[in-house]
Amino acid sequence: MYTFCSSTYSLFWMSTALDGLLSILKKLRANPEKELRILLLGLDNAGKTTILRFLANEDITQVTPTQGFNIKSIHTDGFKLNVWDIGGARKIRPYWRNYFENTDVLIYVIDSADLNRLEETGEELSELLTEDKLRGVPVLVYANKQDVAQSVTAAQIAESLGLPNIKDRDWQIQSCVATDGKGIKEGLEWACKNVKKK
Amino acid sequence: MLSYIWSLVNWYLRPFIKWLLRHTTHMCELQRICYGEPSGAPRTYSVEVSLRLSRNPEIRSLLAYLDDIADQQAITMRSERAILEESIKTVLITKHINPTAHPDFAKSFGKCVELIWGYRQLCVHCEELRQTPYDSDNAKHEGLLLKLWDLLMPGEELDGRITKQWQDIGFQGDDPKTDFRGMGILGLENLVYFAQEYPSAATHVLSHSMHPKYGYAFAIVGINLTSMALRLLKDGSAKTHIYNASKTLPTIRAFHQFYCYLFYEFDGFWIESKPSNMMEFSSIQEKFEQNIKAALADSSTVFRINLSVDNI
Repeated sequence: MYTFCSSTYSLFWMSTALDGLLSILKKLRANPEKELRILLLGLDNAGKTTILRFLANEDITQVTPTQGFNIKSIHTDGFKLNVWDIGGARKIRPYWRNYFENTDVLIYVIDSADLNRLEETGEELSELLTEDKLRGVPVLVYANKQDVAQSVTAAQIAESLGLPNIKDRDWQIQSCVATDGKGIKEGLEWACKNVKKK
Repeated sequence: MLSYIWSLVNWYLRPFIKWLLRHTTHMCELQRICYGEPSGAPRTYSVEVSLRLSRNPEIRSLLAYLDDIADQQAITMRSERAILEESIKTVLITKHINPTAHPDFAKSFGKCVELIWGYRQLCVHCEELRQTPYDSDNAKHEGLLLKLWDLLMPGEELDGRITKQWQDIGFQGDDPKTDFRGMGILGLENLVYFAQEYPSAATHVLSHSMHPKYGYAFAIVGINLTSMALRLLKDGSAKTHIYNASKTLPTIRAFHQFYCYLFYEFDGFWIESKPSNMMEFSSIQEKFEQNIKAALADSSTVFRINLSVDNI
């Protein structure tokens, strides 16, 4: 009698333990890491690759101009970010469109100290915002190189790019210094929160 | 785990094996290497390993001294002789080698020391150049940049210092100064050396880069290859080539020549890969680097720039 009791007793515990394990497994399956496709664009020398390497915790002192593209998968706060960093040289810009599809967030990087090309970068951005494949995709603008003396502020850049006129999508401007990481995290947090609703 | 066991075995067994061999061959390990291994990378590399494993205090202080002067870049054609003689003397005394009975050993060992610490010094020198950013206020830097244009585009005048023409030789915009980035002045020196020392090869590669279908940005690819060459130098993969190729103290020239080989070969590899556009650069570059690494894993490898195609 006693042995019977004890065996049912242990069976009971075993089944509760199993239930617990199953529920954990279920939870894991219900909440898999969310995968996001992030597109990093901007003129050459804006700092796209430096931002990418900073996000991936890699050395940022030996960056070279990007011929083609770089891609890295970054795991952060329950997200798996597939970040595509495409070269910004004029000759490569026509290929940007090959990477538009299924983009969740567009990150546009601006060299805030490159005053001569502010207009050019504005034109490229507004062209991107008219692209059909990027319709409704939230855009984060990094106003990079804020540490350089002649740089203009994020607010000034937002103004000159006409960001406040954007009505068809979420947008955000974030001032940053990619070489020491200042502002990068904050921008990325906004990006993860404002993923395109599908 | 396996490497841990191996290091234990090595630690306890190595002295015993060395002792045994020493008494059977009447030669120390360095002598056995210098007589047994073929000259160049196989011999130099074994000598390097043997020296680094040594527990002898005299040898250890010799290594510390050599490391120090290499890090200070103090090994020159002039100072070299005294440094090598000092190193040889230390080893002859510590290992009780009779120089008259073994005249070849001193010569062969000295050569290895020259290569090992010349390589170390070369790494320091290249790193220093890499960390020197391109500065448009520096007349030397500007002169070098203009020289690159004249070498690659003879007979064509630049409209100005800042001009779209720079894109013809593969820079990204109107002013190349920002394109050197993390490779600094090393990237520019590499390009100039290639254009100057191998004009026909450089022209050949430049014309490929302008190919309507398989074209790419010459200068930008060049700067990315500087990055690759430096990576291979610093992780030690390039030792095979440098040790085999250097007849004298390896200097920056050896690095430039290694770079020229890589650029010329990469161009051929790129065209052969028939890329659909320049967006395939990273993947093709990665494959190319793997091939080069595989070649460098063979200790007899020495790269010579193959100009046969060029002369046709």
